Order: sequence, then structure tokens, then C-alpha cells
Amino acid sequence: MSNPAAKRLFKEYKSLSSDPPEGITAGPVTEDDMFLWEALIQGPEGTPFEGGVFPAELKFPKDYPLAPPKMKFLTDMWHPNVYNNGEVCISILHPPGDDPHQYEQASERWSPIQSVEKILISVMSMLAEPNDESPANIDAAKMWRNKREEYEKVVRQNVRKSLGL
Amino acid sequence: MAEQSINIPQVIVFAVVAFLVYRWYSSKPSANGTRPAANRSVRINPAQIDTIAQMFPQLNRRDIAWDLQRNGGNAAATTERVLSGRSLDSAPASFQLPATSTAAAPIRPVAAVAKPSHPDLITRYNLSSKLSQTPEPTEEKPRAKAWSADRNERQSNLQRKREEMILAARRKMEEKEKASASGAVA
Repeated sequence: MSNPAAKRLFKEYKSLSSDPPEGITAGPVTEDDMFLWEALIQGPEGTPFEGGVFPAELKFPKDYPLAPPKMKFLTDMWHPNVYNNGEVCISILHPPGDDPHQYEQASERWSPIQSVEKILISVMSMLAEPNDESPANIDAAKMWRNKREEYEKVVRQNVRKSLGL
Repeated sequence: MAEQSINIPQVIVFAVVAFLVYRWYSSKPSANGTRPAANRSVRINPAQIDTIAQMFPQLNRRDIAWDLQRNGGNAAATTERVLSGRSLDSAPASFQLPATSTAAAPIRPVAAVAKPSHPDLITRYNLSSKLSQTPEPTEEKPRAKAWSADRNERQSNLQRKREEMILAARRKMEEKEKASASGAVA
């Protein structure tokens, strides 16, 4: 635990456990490796994701919090900002300067004053409000834009399937 | 004539040997002195300065570079220092800022196209045996301490929280489907 990155992650784990945000559970898979976490995010109410619980893994770099973690859903996600392999693509997970298209404000991107909690809350609101400016899943983004009903049906199906129904 | 033609290579050999001997002697006494000198001129990676400058736009690049220089190029230490509210010392006038590199923007790897199929949550967390159990009344159950000093207890608390979250979602979804099914029949 002499490693400053592990120390910081432990501190975040403690505060997330003591005062967890609504609908979020997160922590290291085992405390032997503070750099691999697993999170559960509840689908926000009033969205097709409602009722679902979505597992995701967070992989932290050795120089955290200088660099952001990578986040990957471990369930089928049909969402404009989630790649087919589950990887989440939102501004808070991008290091500052790593934005060749200038879509994002520097203030929205990763910096050491952000936290795991802020990432998870951002991802939760991303589920409710996709950003189709720079989609990771182009087909999902098209469907979300043009055939909203169909998009919601796919999402609901995935939610049922993930709950084993 | 013959003497002279021998002399020129001799002179050259002498000069080379003398030069090597001089080098050997002159490098020897400074061997002890090179260490601190090398420390003083740690090569700072301009990319590190860029990173920190982007995080804290209010900081002077020279001060960032000076701090990095003194802590041996440890960007994490500099960041910690700024975050903890201690301001950076201002760089002395003699300090030279390393040249900035025009680093190419890193290219984000293209995500793999292969689509793995995921097991459902009940399988993933091995909850099928707990599905049939009636949910305990959560209100009355003494709430486990959110943070335990014991590492194993923490781990099992987290595990239980995950399971509760999934089982609650599953039951809610089942009830909702039952309700909508009976609503359709009635």
C-alpha cells in the first residue's frame, strides 16, 4: 500500500463504501489488486435501462490518478457511447489533450480531481442521455436517433436477458 | 631520412598515448563528483510538463518544470503537491525550461469488433440458489457497517451488496412482468 495510486484507490473505495451514491456499488475485485474494480450500476428510472443492473470492470493505470481508468461493461450494452466490446467512451474517461476532434471541453475530461464516483455517476447519466456527437457504436446511435422505439426495445430485451429472464 | 620517417608515427603514437593518459587522469577525480551533477540535471520529459500544465492551467510551466527537476521527474509527486494546496516554488532565473516537444496525439486503439457473449447476472454471480429464497425484510435487518476495519469483512460486505442489488432487480422485474401479464388477462 506504499504505492500512491493504490493508496488513493483505497481511499476512494472507503468513501464509496461509507457513502455510496444511489444505485451504485463499486470496489476492487479483491484487495490484493487495487487496480481492478468491479462496479454495478442501476439503470436510471424513466429510461429503457430502468430495472436493470449493469456490471462493469474498471482497470486503473499504475499512474492513477494522473491517467484515467478504462471502463468496460460486462454485459451486452446497446448504447451509442459503448463499443461492441463493452468499452465505455465518454469524456470523463479521456485524458486531457487526447481529443483530436475537439468535441469535448477540457473541464469535462479526466483530471486527478475527478474520481471513480464521478465516473460512475457520469456513466449513469450517459445511460439516460446518450451523446451521439461522437458515437462509439454507430448502429446504436443511428437507431437511437431515427428509430427510438426499436432502440428501446433492444435495450429492454438486454435488461431482461441480463437478469436471467 | 630513414630516421625521420620512423619519427612521425612515433610522434603520433606518443600523442595518442599521452591523450589517453590525460583523459584517464582527468576523468578519475571527477568520478565521485558526477553523481550529484547528474542528479541536478535530470532530464524532464516535456510531456510531463504538458500533462501537469493541462491539469492546472493556472500554474507557470517554468515552476512545474522546476518542481519536476527537483523531485527527479516524478509527475505524481508534483500533482500531489499542488492538490494538497502547497504551491510550487518559483523557478530561479537561471533555470532553463526544457524544449517542448510537439508530441503527436496518441491514436486511440480501434475497439475489437468481436462480440463476446456475456452470461446473465444470475449465472455470473452464482445466484440461482438464492433466487427461490424469500427476500428478508431489509428494514429490520441490522444494517451491516458500511466500512469495516477487517479486510475479509469488507470483501464479504461488498459481495453481499452486489448480490442484494441483483436479486432486488430480478424480483422487481419478475413482479412487474407478472403484473403486466395479469393486467393483460384481466
